[in-house]
Amino acid sequence: MKLLLAEDQKELSNALVQILKIKGFETDAVYDGQEAYEHCKKNVYNGIILDIMMPKMDGIQVLKNIREENIHTPVLMLTAKADVEDRINGLNMGADDYLAKPFNMQELIARINAMIRSKNEYLPNEFNLGNTIFDTGQRSLMVGSNSLILAGKEAGLLTLLLSNAGRLMTPAQIIENLWAGEDEDNSVSEMELNISYLKSKLKSVKSNLVITKDETGISIDVLED
Amino acid sequence: MESLEDFYKDSLVILESVEKELLLRIDLLRHYYVLSGHTDPVEHCKSRIKTPYSMKEKLKRKGLEQTVEVALSEVYDAVGIRIVCQFVDDVYQMVELLKKQDDIKIINEKDYIANPKDNGYRSYHVIVSIPIHLSDFTKEMYAEIQIRTIAMDSWAALEHELRYKHTIPNAKMLAKELKRCADEIASTDLTLQTIRNVIIESE
Repeated sequence: MKLLLAEDQKELSNALVQILKIKGFETDAVYDGQEAYEHCKKNVYNGIILDIMMPKMDGIQVLKNIREENIHTPVLMLTAKADVEDRINGLNMGADDYLAKPFNMQELIARINAMIRSKNEYLPNEFNLGNTIFDTGQRSLMVGSNSLILAGKEAGLLTLLLSNAGRLMTPAQIIENLWAGEDEDNSVSEMELNISYLKSKLKSVKSNLVITKDETGISIDVLED
Repeated sequence: MESLEDFYKDSLVILESVEKELLLRIDLLRHYYVLSGHTDPVEHCKSRIKTPYSMKEKLKRKGLEQTVEVALSEVYDAVGIRIVCQFVDDVYQMVELLKKQDDIKIINEKDYIANPKDNGYRSYHVIVSIPIHLSDFTKEMYAEIQIRTIAMDSWAALEHELRYKHTIPNAKMLAKELKRCADEIASTDLTLQTIRNVIIESE
């Protein structure tokens, strides 16, 4: 599981990274809001921890910006102030949880785990990208009146790619999300086959979305003409 | 009920020739294709000559005179051939093979697989004309060839049944279900094709 930690107090940040590592999280640490925003746009995380009071861009603004970019990764806000207004603001902007400083480390871990567990509840039920609509409830892939209904795994894969559109995901991240606990060799070939299904189905409905896969990773993008 | 002979008269022989000729050509294409090491792209073929009743209905709809002469010059599907394939790529393969036949002219083609109808109907339609040689002249005759997969064919059979039964109480709901089913079938056809390609590539 990969996390982004945006916290400007370096000592606290270093301590958190160490503890999260022991708990099995790989954490990217950044120290200001601008950097946090850039990292969210480039990388795919399972969860994001944002301090509210940060240099360059505050946590609320980072949250606002990433939600506008259709990044639906769960976000936990950290605040030094026991300020009710900050918390309400954060939750209204699309934060999934908050924790007031100083906090208990066990509580932070428990909240991160809970937040990631319920991730799917935060996914939109319709993606609208390029000329293409994907209705996750009906598993219906549509371009105009031309539509196909996807099977379970390929629908899950498309949902994952679309919720991280424009950003590279590693095969490991995809497998962690969709084939967790399954035989690894088998998962890789199943993922590759499902990518082929999606490619042929996107082509069939004449979608301008393209899935690219190379050494660096897998992503879905709008094809510019 | 009016028989084929009653309506088409002497022309029935010609229509039957068109039917036989096209079926024979398709049969030859399949055999030759298999002999050259490919798998047979065709699962089965069907054919029919349009019944006088539905021919007259069609002429009526088009506002045309209901005679055999008009029927043969203005309606393209007096002879209908249906080619049913196992896989989507086979459908396109058959279209290509038909287009290669020098004396078959393509009058019109509609790819309802790439552009399905609103109700979910998928199939590849080609209107052709083919020369039929008689004792003292040659006649160009029209025929409609529909090419689709087995799954598309089963779907179309059921949709046809629904369309001509006017007494079904929840027809609207069933039509919606059929549309969903068409989208699932098309998706599965593509999945089968993808798996087939993986198998072929790994051979």
